[in-house]
Amino acid sequence: MTAPTGHTHTRKPEPLEFDKPRVSIAKPEYRFDMQGEMPEPERVERAMKSFVKDFGRTAAIYMESCIHCGMCAEACHFYEVTKDPKYTPIWKLEPFKQAYKREYGPFAVIYRALNLKQKVTVQQLQEWQELIYDSCTVCGRCSLMCPMGIDIASLVSQARHGMFNAGLIPHELWSVTERARLEGSPLGATPKVFKDRLEWLADDHEVDIPLDKANADVLCAMSSIEIMKYPDSVVATARIMNHLGVDWTFRLDGYEATNFGLLSGNSAAQKLLTMKIIDAAVACGAKTVILPECGHAYTALRWMGANMYGQPLPFRVMHIAEYLAEQVHEGRLRLKQVKKSVTFHDPCQVVRRGGAIEAPRDVLKALGVELREMYPTKGTNWCCGGGGGVIANHRADDIRYKTFRIKMEQIEKTGAEMPVTTCANCRQTFDDGQAHFKWDTEMHSLLELVADNLVEEET
Amino acid sequence: MSAPTLREFLRARGVTRREFMKFCTATTVMLGLPATMAPRVAAALAEARRPSVIWLPFQECTGCTESITRAHGATIESLIFEAISLDYQHTLQAAAGDAAERVREQAMKDNWGKYLLIVDGSIPTGNPGFGTIAGHDYASMLKEAAEGAAAIVALGTCAAYGGIPGAKPNPTGAVSVGDLVKDKPIINVPGCPPIPVVITGVLTQFLTFGKVPELDALGRPKSFFGQTIHDRCYRRPFYERGQFADSFDDEGARAGWCLYKLGCKGPTTYNACATVKWNNGTSFPIEAGHGCIGCSEPHFWDQGGFYQPLSTGNWGNARTVATAVGVGAALGIASAALARKRQRDAEGT
Amino acid sequence: MTLLEFARGPGLQWAVTIFIVGVLWRLLGVFLLRGKRDLSEPRQPAAWKGLRLIALRSWPRREFLEGTAFGEVMGYTFHVGFLVSLFFFAPHVLFFADVARGLIGTDLRGLIGVGWPTLPNGIITLLAAVSVAALLAVLVHRLVNPVKRLISNFDDYFSWFVTVAPLVTGLAAFSHLSGWPYERLLAYHLLAVELLLVWFPFGKLMHAFTIFAARGATGMIFERKGASL
Repeated sequence: MTAPTGHTHTRKPEPLEFDKPRVSIAKPEYRFDMQGEMPEPERVERAMKSFVKDFGRTAAIYMESCIHCGMCAEACHFYEVTKDPKYTPIWKLEPFKQAYKREYGPFAVIYRALNLKQKVTVQQLQEWQELIYDSCTVCGRCSLMCPMGIDIASLVSQARHGMFNAGLIPHELWSVTERARLEGSPLGATPKVFKDRLEWLADDHEVDIPLDKANADVLCAMSSIEIMKYPDSVVATARIMNHLGVDWTFRLDGYEATNFGLLSGNSAAQKLLTMKIIDAAVACGAKTVILPECGHAYTALRWMGANMYGQPLPFRVMHIAEYLAEQVHEGRLRLKQVKKSVTFHDPCQVVRRGGAIEAPRDVLKALGVELREMYPTKGTNWCCGGGGGVIANHRADDIRYKTFRIKMEQIEKTGAEMPVTTCANCRQTFDDGQAHFKWDTEMHSLLELVADNLVEEET
Repeated sequence: MSAPTLREFLRARGVTRREFMKFCTATTVMLGLPATMAPRVAAALAEARRPSVIWLPFQECTGCTESITRAHGATIESLIFEAISLDYQHTLQAAAGDAAERVREQAMKDNWGKYLLIVDGSIPTGNPGFGTIAGHDYASMLKEAAEGAAAIVALGTCAAYGGIPGAKPNPTGAVSVGDLVKDKPIINVPGCPPIPVVITGVLTQFLTFGKVPELDALGRPKSFFGQTIHDRCYRRPFYERGQFADSFDDEGARAGWCLYKLGCKGPTTYNACATVKWNNGTSFPIEAGHGCIGCSEPHFWDQGGFYQPLSTGNWGNARTVATAVGVGAALGIASAALARKRQRDAEGT
Repeated sequence: MTLLEFARGPGLQWAVTIFIVGVLWRLLGVFLLRGKRDLSEPRQPAAWKGLRLIALRSWPRREFLEGTAFGEVMGYTFHVGFLVSLFFFAPHVLFFADVARGLIGTDLRGLIGVGWPTLPNGIITLLAAVSVAALLAVLVHRLVNPVKRLISNFDDYFSWFVTVAPLVTGLAAFSHLSGWPYERLLAYHLLAVELLLVWFPFGKLMHAFTIFAARGATGMIFERKGASL
C-alpha cells in the first residue's frame, strides 16, 4: 500500500524484526514510497538535476551503446524465474536513457527541439521504482553478459541517485538510511548498542575485544547485520585477530561497514557513512582497514572510498576473506582440517564485482574441505537475490523468494554437506529463504568456520 | 512536274530492284521488325516522294554530319541520303550566304507543316550572340523552324541532351532541343556521334510509317536504343566471372577481359554499338579495348570521368572531407562543452 | 538530373559529408564529457590490460550461452556476410581505392604493390543472400521475443531497414534483375547506401564505434579491480 502523497522526514525509529531470519524493519502497514512534499514537476527537476550532476563520460558511453539485443535478461535472476520482459536489466534504465538523450547527450539539442524524446514524468519514475529497487540487486551479472560491455549494474546505482533526489525510493530503504544517518546504524546497532554488545560478547565468550584504541595497526569494521543477528561473527573476528597477534581495534567513531546510502542512492549519506570509517582509521593511524563479511561494504570502501575521500586512502582496505587468505599464504594462519564437503556461494560485490575471487577458496583450501563448486560459479555465480537492499524491501519478498529457488537448486546439485559464504547479507537471505521454503540446508560463514578451527599455538 | 518517287529516283541512278529489296529487307530486320514486313517497308519507301529535310546546325562539332556521310564508296545509305530533299545543310550544300538562307526559307514555306527538321548541336541560352546564322540566333531559328516541322530529329547527344557544350561548367548555357521545343514530336538520336546506320535507320523508319517510332523515357527510338551495351556485349561472360582488365595493355586487357575497372559505362548506356557496331560492322570501342564512354546518355561528360568505374562516384575530395571533419569536431566539442556547463550549473545549485 | 546521376553525385557527397559530421559530433560529444578519476588503489596496475575485454566479450561465457546462442550466431552471420560483401566485392573495392587515392594520393597497390583482394562474385552473392536471411531471422526474433519486443523502438526497426536495403538492392542490381532497367537498380542501391550513411550517426548503428569504447571502458574499470571480465 502506498500513501497518496509525501511523508516528511521523521526521527521516529521503525520497529525492527529481530525474531525473523532477516533483520529488517517490520512489514509496514502503510508504505511511504514517496518522500517529501514536493510538487511533481519539482520531483522530476530534482531527479534530472542530480542525474546531470552525476553523469560522466563512461556512463554516457554506456547510454550510447545499447543495441537492444535483450541478452542481459538472460543473465538476470529476476528475469530467469519470471520470464517477465520488464525485468530486462537495461530496461531498468529506460527513463534515464531517455533523460540522457534529451538533456545531456551530443544530440540533446536536436532531441529537445524536435521533441524526439519526451521529458521524463513522475508517473514513469514511480513505475520504475519497483524495477530499480525491488528487482535489482546490483549484482552485475548482466554487466558480464552484455555484448557491448555496458556495466548495467553501475548505471542502476547511478539511477538510484536520481530516484533518491526525486524522493522516490522504497519505504524501507529510506527508513533504514535515515536510521543510519541519524543513529549510526541502519538496524539499531548504535554506538551504545555496539559497545554494550562488545562487553557481553567479550564476557560470554572469554575473548578480548579492544575498543577505541588511540593507535592501532588494523581497524576492523563490522556490519550491523552481524552485530544484531550474527554476533558470533564479532567474536570470530576478535578471536582470529588476537590469534594472529595483530595490533587491532574496533572504534565507536567508525565501525559500521554497511552503507545504505549506497544502496538507496543517497550520495550524501553514502559519503557520510564512508567518511566515518576513514576518519576513524586516520585517527588511530591504522595501516589496514578490514571489512567484515559484507558485500556492498567492500564496494563502498575498497572501490568507492577514495573517491568519496577525494584522495587515495592512506591505508589498505581488505575484505576479511582476503585478509585471511593473505595470512594463510604468509604461513601465519594454520587451520584444523574440516573433513566436510563444502560448496561456496560467491557474494556478488566481493567476487564478481570486487575481484576477491580466489581468496575465499584459498581459505577453504587451507581448511582442507572438499570443495565442490556449484554451477555456475565464481564470476558467473547466481546472486542470492537479497543484495542491493532487496532483502530490506518487503514489497520485493515474493520475487526474491522466487529467485531463491535458483540457489537452492544450485546447492542441492552439488550434494555438498555445507554451503559457505562470506557475506552476512547473503547469509541472512539464505536464512530467510530457508525459513520460507523450510529447506533443510543452512548457510555458513567462512569467518566463523575459520575462527572455529584455529590451530592454537602451544605455549 | 512532280518530284519522282524514291523508287523512280533510285532506278534512274542504276539501283536495281533486287538491290533495293535487299536494302529494305536489311533495314526491316535492323529496325527489329519481322522480316514479313519487308514488302511493306519496300512499298512505302518506293512510293515515298523525297520529303523536304531542313538540317539546322547549332553548337556542334560536325561529327554527326561526318558520321552520316561515312560513305565507303557509293553505298545505299548515301544514295538514300541524296534521295531525301536535303534543302539545307551547311556542310553539304553548295550554296552559301544569303542564297542558302533564301533556299531554306522557300523550302520551309513550300513544305510548311510537312518537312522533317534535323538539328545537331546544342542551343546556347546564355547570350544570343554565342551562336548565330546569318544574324539570327540559334534559339529563334529553332523556334521558327520547329513551328513548321512535322517532326524533329535531335541528332547527336548535343542536340538531344546538351552534349559537350552542356558539360560542366556549361559556359554558354547550352540546352537541348527538347528543352526549348515542347509542342512538336522530337526523336532523340544521341551518340557522340550516333552510328551512321542508326541515323539512316531512324529516318527510314519515319519515312516508312509516317510517324514517330516508339521512344524510351529519354525520347530515343527503342529499336536502336532499347538495350544496353552491357546486355549485348560479347565480353559479358568475363564480367560475370569477375575477370577484369586492371590497366590498359595488361594481361587481362590482352586477353580481352571485361573493361569495367577501366571505366566502361556499358551497363548504363543504351545504344546499338554492341550489335550494329561501327564502320559497317567492323568494331566498336570495347572490342577495340577501350571502355564505353556512354556517349548516348545525357551528361556523359560529367559522370566522374571515362576511366572511373561505375561503382565509384562523387564522394567529395580531401577538402570536403576535411571540412566535414572540422564541422563534426566543432559540433562535438560544442555539445560536450554545453553538457559540461549544464553539469557545472547543476553542481552549483 | 537522372536518379543515377543524383545518387552518384550530390546524393553521395551529401551522404558522406553527413556521415562524417554526424559520427564525429556524436563521438566527440561523448568522449569529451567529464571523466571521473578513480582514486582507489588498483588490485594490480596496468589497467590497459582491461582492453582485452574488447576481444573477450565477442563471445558469451559458456554459462550464458543457452539463451543467447541464437542471437550471437545470427548476429555474426549477418555481420560477416555484410562486411565481406562490402569489402571484398570488386566494384566496392574500386570505390574504396578511389577514396584512398582522393584522400592520401595513392591506393593499396600504390603503397605495397599488391591490390586489395577480391572474392569471386558467386561467394559474395551467397554471403549477401545469407546475410539477408540472417537479418530476416533477427527481425522475426525481435518481433516475437517478449524481451526484445518490449525494449525495441523506432531506431531498432529503422536501423534494420537501412541495413537490409543495401543488401537487397545490391543483390538486385548485381543480378541485373529481369524487367528492371539496370541504371535504376544501381541508383536504388546507391540511394540505399546513402540512406544508411545518413542514418548511421544518429541511431544504434554507431555501435560499430561505441563497442570499442564501452567494452574498453568496462574492461579497464574491471581489470583494475580484478573483477570478473
